[in-house]
Amino acid sequence: MTHMVLTVAAILFALGIYGVTTRKNAIGILVSVELMANAVNLNLVAFSQHWGATGQSFALFAIALTVAEVVVGLALVVLLYRTRKNVNIDLASDLRS
Amino acid sequence: MMVDLLAPLAADAILVIGALSLLLVDLILPPGEKRILGYGTIGVLLAALISTFALDLSGEAVGGAYEGDALALFFKRGFYVSAILASLASLDFGAKIWPRRQGEYFQLLLYSVLGMSLLAGVRDLLLLAVAFELMGVPLYAMAAFSRKDKLAVEGGLKLYLTGAVSSAVTLYGMSMLFGASGSTNLAEIASAPSSPMLAMGVALTLAGMGFKLGVAPFHMWVPDTYRGSPPPFVVLVAVAPKIAGIAALTRLLLAGDGALLDSVSELLLLLAWFTVIVGNVMALPQDSVRRLLGFSGVGHMGLLLLGLTTGTAEGIAAMLFYVAGYIFTTAGALLVLSAVADEDGNDGLARFAGLSQRSGFLAFAMLVFLLSLGGIPFVVGFWAKLYLFLAAWGAGYQLSVLFIALVGVIGLYYYLRVSRAMYMTEPTVEGPISVDLGTQLAIALCLVFVVGMGLVPQPFVAVAETAASVLR
Repeated sequence: MTHMVLTVAAILFALGIYGVTTRKNAIGILVSVELMANAVNLNLVAFSQHWGATGQSFALFAIALTVAEVVVGLALVVLLYRTRKNVNIDLASDLRS
Repeated sequence: MMVDLLAPLAADAILVIGALSLLLVDLILPPGEKRILGYGTIGVLLAALISTFALDLSGEAVGGAYEGDALALFFKRGFYVSAILASLASLDFGAKIWPRRQGEYFQLLLYSVLGMSLLAGVRDLLLLAVAFELMGVPLYAMAAFSRKDKLAVEGGLKLYLTGAVSSAVTLYGMSMLFGASGSTNLAEIASAPSSPMLAMGVALTLAGMGFKLGVAPFHMWVPDTYRGSPPPFVVLVAVAPKIAGIAALTRLLLAGDGALLDSVSELLLLLAWFTVIVGNVMALPQDSVRRLLGFSGVGHMGLLLLGLTTGTAEGIAAMLFYVAGYIFTTAGALLVLSAVADEDGNDGLARFAGLSQRSGFLAFAMLVFLLSLGGIPFVVGFWAKLYLFLAAWGAGYQLSVLFIALVGVIGLYYYLRVSRAMYMTEPTVEGPISVDLGTQLAIALCLVFVVGMGLVPQPFVAVAETAASVLR
């Protein structure tokens, strides 16, 4: 059972990586990061089957950490929209040398 | 009883109390008088720094998740000093660019330093994850603090996106470390029987932290964030979080008997080689001096990784001495840069042309910092490189030492290119440069330490050796 959950988590993580690398929309990238974070939580909870509740409490911490991070990220996307009137990260390339 | 349990965290408690008091004072102060918050921040950081000398911070805290040893103290002092340097540079800049929001900026700075400070003595995976995020999240907000500035927002977003992906990768790696060992205690993880899952967990955690360190191939955000973000913030982000990343890696890989380091030492060495190449070669064509220093900083991370790879007491001591030199040299160079760049943040080589005629002090300071970055004798950079190479040579990494030393020679070219512009060309912009007192003080401090550690390195090496002796 555990290894099936781990496989699902690995697929989720891979999907997240794929999304991060291919998405042009900043919100889309944030969603992909969320997918990766959920893979982590799934992993932790699956491991709890073997190792007891430590994994579940770790998952709770991981959820809180991801939330804090995504909130700041959404604020940055709002700023990006305000300064450029779009959220396409390919167009935000003034710093490229 | 409670006080006893938290005694090793006294310096961190000072930061928490300081940051919360700052929040309250910020509410009471009228908008025109926010400047005092900057002084308050420096006071809090100084108090924390003094407490590392004056109080006994040794022992375990929070159920063994944190242990204050000599290594933790070494890193803590490094973080506090680099935060003080960055705050000194932020005083006038903040009062001018975001007068009403100075309190928020300095609070974020203190929270981030708190995260780093906890990382210094971390013994548990859970605390490692929390402290790493506590360090990173405030930095994202600070990078884009000039919120109407297109470039700052872009630089901040790039820092954020790489940071968010990297923490997801780190957490995924940590979940595997937990899964393979059934414990969150770092020493117990290190003593778990080796398995593919454990190796993969270490590799993923390493990759995630590599983003924060700016290790190639995870370095893309470094030059962009350096160029786009507010200059005083760059002084912070170029030094403190990178050192914190090294601290976290040291704690993780050398926990217990160092079994985790052995499982990834080849990978680490590969990263070191690649990082040194990318950092030095990519710095060559840069015109923006901040981007140049960004890439050069990437190169220096490669050297630190080499020191970490050795895993010997000498190697770690040399790495710590390098860290101390890196703090003052890089912070100093970026401080000069923040003084020389114009209002729009332009910092091309043209801005440095004839700097010696416009401000002898800035040009001389920059020259010393560049020489130190390049590893020329009688400034700290030379000794740092020498000790690191000797330690790595002694640990059996002769080929890597030769290779990295050779690639480092490329670095001399671009450091001297800036020096040449400062001393041998006519200024394109006329008039002396006015530097605010805070930045001047910070530059002078860096100068004293870079030259001082270059002339009398022994006491500092002794401190680094004591700190490294707690491992293995």
